[in-house]
Amino acid sequence: MRCCKIMLERFQDRRAGQGLPLPESSRTMSRSLHLRIRAWVAAAAPLVLLAVGPAAAAGDDGDVLIRAGSVVTVEGETFAPGAVLVSGGVIAGVGASIEAPEGAEVLDLGEGTTLLPGFVDVDLPGGVTGPSVEVTREITPRFNPLPAIDWSSRSFVEALAGGTTAGAFIPLSENVVPGMAPVVKTAGSRRVVEAEAALVVTVASDPASRNRSRTRPDSIYVRQPTNRMGVVAMLREALNRASRGAEPDLDTTLPVEADPYEPLRDVIQGRRSVLAISRTDYDILTVLRLAGEFGYAPIILGGQEAYKVAGPLAATGVPVVLGPLRINGPYGPERTELAWNTAGVLHEAGVAVALSGGDLLEQARFAARFGLPEEEALKAITIGPARVLGVADRLGSIAVGKAADLVALEGDPLEFTTPVRWVMVDGVVQFPRPKPSEED
Amino acid sequence: MVMATTQRLGGLRRGLALALVLAVLPAVGASAQEQLAIKGGRIIPIVGEPIDDGIILIRDGTIQAVGTDLEIPIEARVIDASGKVVLPGFVEPHSPEPLVQPNEVNPNVPFVTVVDAVDPNAIYFEEARRNGVTAVHAIPGNSTMFGGKSAVVKTSGTFAEDMVLKRDAGLKLSLRPAGSTSRMSHLARLRRELDETKRYMASLDEKAKEAEPESPDDEAEGQGSEGEPKAAQDEDEEADGGESDEESPSDDAAPDAQREAMVRLLKGELPAFLYCEQAMDVPHALKLIDDYGMKATLILGRDCHKAIGLLAGREEPVILDPELVFWETDPRTDRDDQIVLPRLYREAGVPITFQTSGSSLSSASTLGPSLLWYQAATAVKYGMPMDEALEALTLRPARLIGVDSFVGSIEPGKDADLVILSGEPLKLGTWVDATIIDGKVVYRREDDTRMKALLFPDEEPSAPE
Repeated sequence: MRCCKIMLERFQDRRAGQGLPLPESSRTMSRSLHLRIRAWVAAAAPLVLLAVGPAAAAGDDGDVLIRAGSVVTVEGETFAPGAVLVSGGVIAGVGASIEAPEGAEVLDLGEGTTLLPGFVDVDLPGGVTGPSVEVTREITPRFNPLPAIDWSSRSFVEALAGGTTAGAFIPLSENVVPGMAPVVKTAGSRRVVEAEAALVVTVASDPASRNRSRTRPDSIYVRQPTNRMGVVAMLREALNRASRGAEPDLDTTLPVEADPYEPLRDVIQGRRSVLAISRTDYDILTVLRLAGEFGYAPIILGGQEAYKVAGPLAATGVPVVLGPLRINGPYGPERTELAWNTAGVLHEAGVAVALSGGDLLEQARFAARFGLPEEEALKAITIGPARVLGVADRLGSIAVGKAADLVALEGDPLEFTTPVRWVMVDGVVQFPRPKPSEED
Repeated sequence: MVMATTQRLGGLRRGLALALVLAVLPAVGASAQEQLAIKGGRIIPIVGEPIDDGIILIRDGTIQAVGTDLEIPIEARVIDASGKVVLPGFVEPHSPEPLVQPNEVNPNVPFVTVVDAVDPNAIYFEEARRNGVTAVHAIPGNSTMFGGKSAVVKTSGTFAEDMVLKRDAGLKLSLRPAGSTSRMSHLARLRRELDETKRYMASLDEKAKEAEPESPDDEAEGQGSEGEPKAAQDEDEEADGGESDEESPSDDAAPDAQREAMVRLLKGELPAFLYCEQAMDVPHALKLIDDYGMKATLILGRDCHKAIGLLAGREEPVILDPELVFWETDPRTDRDDQIVLPRLYREAGVPITFQTSGSSLSSASTLGPSLLWYQAATAVKYGMPMDEALEALTLRPARLIGVDSFVGSIEPGKDADLVILSGEPLKLGTWVDATIIDGKVVYRREDDTRMKALLFPDEEPSAPE
């Protein structure tokens, strides 16, 4: 547990130290991509405002004091009763009791209520229009789902209603290196938190699933890899070429990308975190092996069989972001053997765990029911994923200086019978929305 | 927890069942009169007030007495439920999951019976016992117009026949057209079948009248087709084998086997369980019920809340889709709205019951909707009082499927179908410690090796103790 934290922090520090990683070699091209992304976000912002309605416009700056039966800060102590002062969309104070500043709006939630930090979903479901991966080549490290995000998508509203205030979009696992994961808010006027929070790689059979050695000759799927070994070989080859500064391999990499190997180099040099989509125990071990070869610290995403390799994961300090546990049939994706208490087993072994894939609070409740300690279940949907995504300095807990992303619950957060009262993003209550009559 | 399991199987269950139970349960009592006592727990009988530190006396699978100052017979096995909560077994009012291939390809098969398709080894039953469900209304799926005759079965047994609590509990009708059939032709065909049945019944009546003067013996038979005596016979069918009086092959006045279920449906002897997929199906369903005088329960797809105004005032509970909370987007304004079914039906005054199977389950991101108690917890989350939620898990569905004289509450004379919970119902940390069906312990958490393997997957399976 400790060593993985240290490792994570080390990586966050490194990244922070680099002031968002853009080495000299390719700055011009990557800047153009950044500009493009920025332009997109700028174009999207008014839309977002429209979609959210006047709620976002109102009360942006006034101070708000929230009193609750208990305030679970997640990283620090729990105050019962507790109070949180919000100023300018940021948390300005946390404590057992806070004097309301003059002119501040006071939200008294009442006895028995709980205030939690907004939940962070490493793998936000939906929200992207069309497939979120460029399938013409296998290695597309610079591709980013950001331009394909439908900011008024219902997925955001659903996530928000469940208490999820931020999360990442993971490009589809169809490619060996599908691209970048951006971190966004589920509501509010400033939606993009981090455009390139992590590089996503696939160590699973997915990229090979559509490729065929023999099909229509003009098909893009007449290509490698056609099996799991090929996936790993291609990833290793890309990392090798990147580390020795070779020219991109045009068979596997799109020429339109500005130095496609740069993000891979950043990974190897520890300047960028990498999320490895990996589900079976042997794929997870492959991730660890590759990381050992190139000396970087990966994060497992999916991890359905991670309980089988909890020891090696703990020893290397690799965190695991678990996909949702469903039981429609005995097997999970890729015929993984699901265990109900994977989160608990990993935590017990000392592996940092986050839950992902939608309905985070319900997932945390089931994780707690099946054996993850309650405190850890709440961390696994707040500070845990925030750390994984490298945004723990801004999100993931109730602490002074962090964004006022808060969830008010009517009772014990982990009871199935407890509803969400409201969800605040950047200091503005975004769920429930005001009734149509109140909007005017 | 001291839990003694005793079995008296002589005569009641067949040899194979005995062999299985012997293999599964460690202790098999040999006393002639099977007696069981559950003591020390908080008993929530559903009918009447909860009893703290109560005692339930069971003999031969039936509840004999419930109270606090009861003398436990010396020969009774005692289950100590101190610190635990005892509830009647949960009842699921609608599920095709116990069946192998729950949808017939032919859309018009009112003569089939689910008893022939119940798979006692279906994973459904294992999960049911693990989650406190002791009786389920096994019913054909939603893709068949006249899907066949349903049955209420207990969730433990080796032979479907042994598990049946009520045969011919209802007839499944679905308003969802199968395959590429249009709704127009589906409804037209449905009505045609019902009309044909009516004509057939009229021709039977005529035959009965013709037969009357010639043979006075048949008179009783002719009256029988009017309803009441036959219905009574159906009720008793399970108990005494009931093959006696439909047997005379020369009797033209009795409906043939193919049409028998339809005739009983229109006589109101066999209740309809009518699936409405969309809101537009609801008025059709209500009109069908009205036009043909059917006794019917509605199984409502998610979308049906839009027709809630038509349902207001009906006292008959409806069976809801397992996904009780979901989102809808207005196709024009693009506005997203959270639909909370328990709240909507509550506001309309329509009593609800829950089920765990349905097409929308695949979209659920947690395993919650596949658990019956979780459905009740969700209803409580959105305003249903706890008492009502527990009733909606037990007595309400039992009434709905016509088995409330046997199950659904803890009362003397009812089947000893009980759930012993480790704590207060619907709480996060509460587990089913034991499930009892007909006075036999059919599930014990401490013996649930499969669940242990799912919860502690890295532990080597230990040798059986």
